[in-house]
Amino acid sequence: MTQKPLELILARNLMSALSTPAFLVDEGGVLVFYNEAAGMLLGKRFEELGTVGPDEWGSLFGPFDESGEPIPYDELPLVVAVRNGRPAHADFEISSVDGARHRVEASAFPILTAHGSRGAIAVFWPAGSSNGAGR
Amino acid sequence: MKVKLWGTRGSIPSPGPETIRYGGNTSCVGVTLSDGSMLALDAGTGIRNLGLALAAEPARLHILLTHLHLDHIQGLVFFAPAFRAQTEIVIWGPASPEASLRDRIARYISAPLSPVEVRELPCDVSFRHCPEAEWEIGPARIRAASVAHRGPTLGYRIDDGDSSLAYIPDHEPALGADIDALEEDWISGLGLARNASLLIHDGQYTDEEYPDHIGWGHSSLSHAVSFARRASADRTLLFHHDPMHTDAQLDALGLAARERWMQAGGAEGGMELAAEGAEYELPARAASAASAT
Ligand SMILES: [Zn+2]
Ligand SMILES: [Zn+2]
Repeated sequence: MTQKPLELILARNLMSALSTPAFLVDEGGVLVFYNEAAGMLLGKRFEELGTVGPDEWGSLFGPFDESGEPIPYDELPLVVAVRNGRPAHADFEISSVDGARHRVEASAFPILTAHGSRGAIAVFWPAGSSNGAGR
Repeated sequence: MKVKLWGTRGSIPSPGPETIRYGGNTSCVGVTLSDGSMLALDAGTGIRNLGLALAAEPARLHILLTHLHLDHIQGLVFFAPAFRAQTEIVIWGPASPEASLRDRIARYISAPLSPVEVRELPCDVSFRHCPEAEWEIGPARIRAASVAHRGPTLGYRIDDGDSSLAYIPDHEPALGADIDALEEDWISGLGLARNASLLIHDGQYTDEEYPDHIGWGHSSLSHAVSFARRASADRTLLFHHDPMHTDAQLDALGLAARERWMQAGGAEGGMELAAEGAEYELPARAASAASAT
């Protein structure tokens, strides 16, 4: 087993303590962790799922744009953050394991270090929870 | 590989009648490789005695700094070989986006904190950022990796022949994490310590003291024992003793550490407290242990 870089370890430690859904990918775009809050949103705990390859996790839970079309993988904030090394924000719908749709806002930012990129973190918020989805 | 402990204390030197046996000097470990090359791990006040013991030898030595907290660099300006023109010293340490290793160390080795400036040191001194990949010094392979502490901090792994030394003096792997439950690759520092012949690890606090020091960058006794068990180290030395701990208190802490180690299934003699002046000759890893899965 290869040791995870410290920055990912610390990110996971922080995310584990948050009640906001949060996702962590490594520098290769592999989904290496999401927290309990994210698990509740998706209807599946990370421990049940395990790590998911870079081209697979995008399609696991949608996501869909306003017209219900799947959003291309390349445009997901987490992918933009890890590939381009810059922050990204979007709102979209995801579907959980039981088929329920959730509209969320997602902010992703890269984890950059003296030795280059380590990966990226995305944090989700429920979108328009009090005011509908019309933003 | 031979290892000698020149300073085992953390935070601040703590000389006095109550710290004679475990010592009052701050972090410094001397390592003699199989070809006779010399490394110093950290340059706390313990490096002063290491320098005095080196006499005019060797001509070249490497100092591997884990980080730049004062208890790990304070001895640099009192290291006799640095004041000999024929000595070549290579200082390795963590990179930082803010300034070079040389410039960060020069903040200490400069007025008004120091009577000399880096450029005035008579020796041939160079500064290198530790690479991410393994590198070689003499017959040894050296690996450095960031570990959980405060500020950019490295742990080291030195492999020479079949013996290996892991040095992680300032380390809080349990911060926000459960060492006993986490997968191995998610535990800070474990990749450095795995199956080490000798692990020198932070053991600053008792379990009772730790709750008041969460996030200070150090380990409790239980965390250190758990880490050593997960790493399957052959032998572990608890290091970076709290300056408040007397010899009598450290005796008690050592006893508790050995008990916990044995309870956790560790082998007899696999856990002890680091004492200034102690020397270890690292054997090749035992065949039985090496073959265990
Ligand atoms: Zn220290
Ligand atoms: Zn420190």
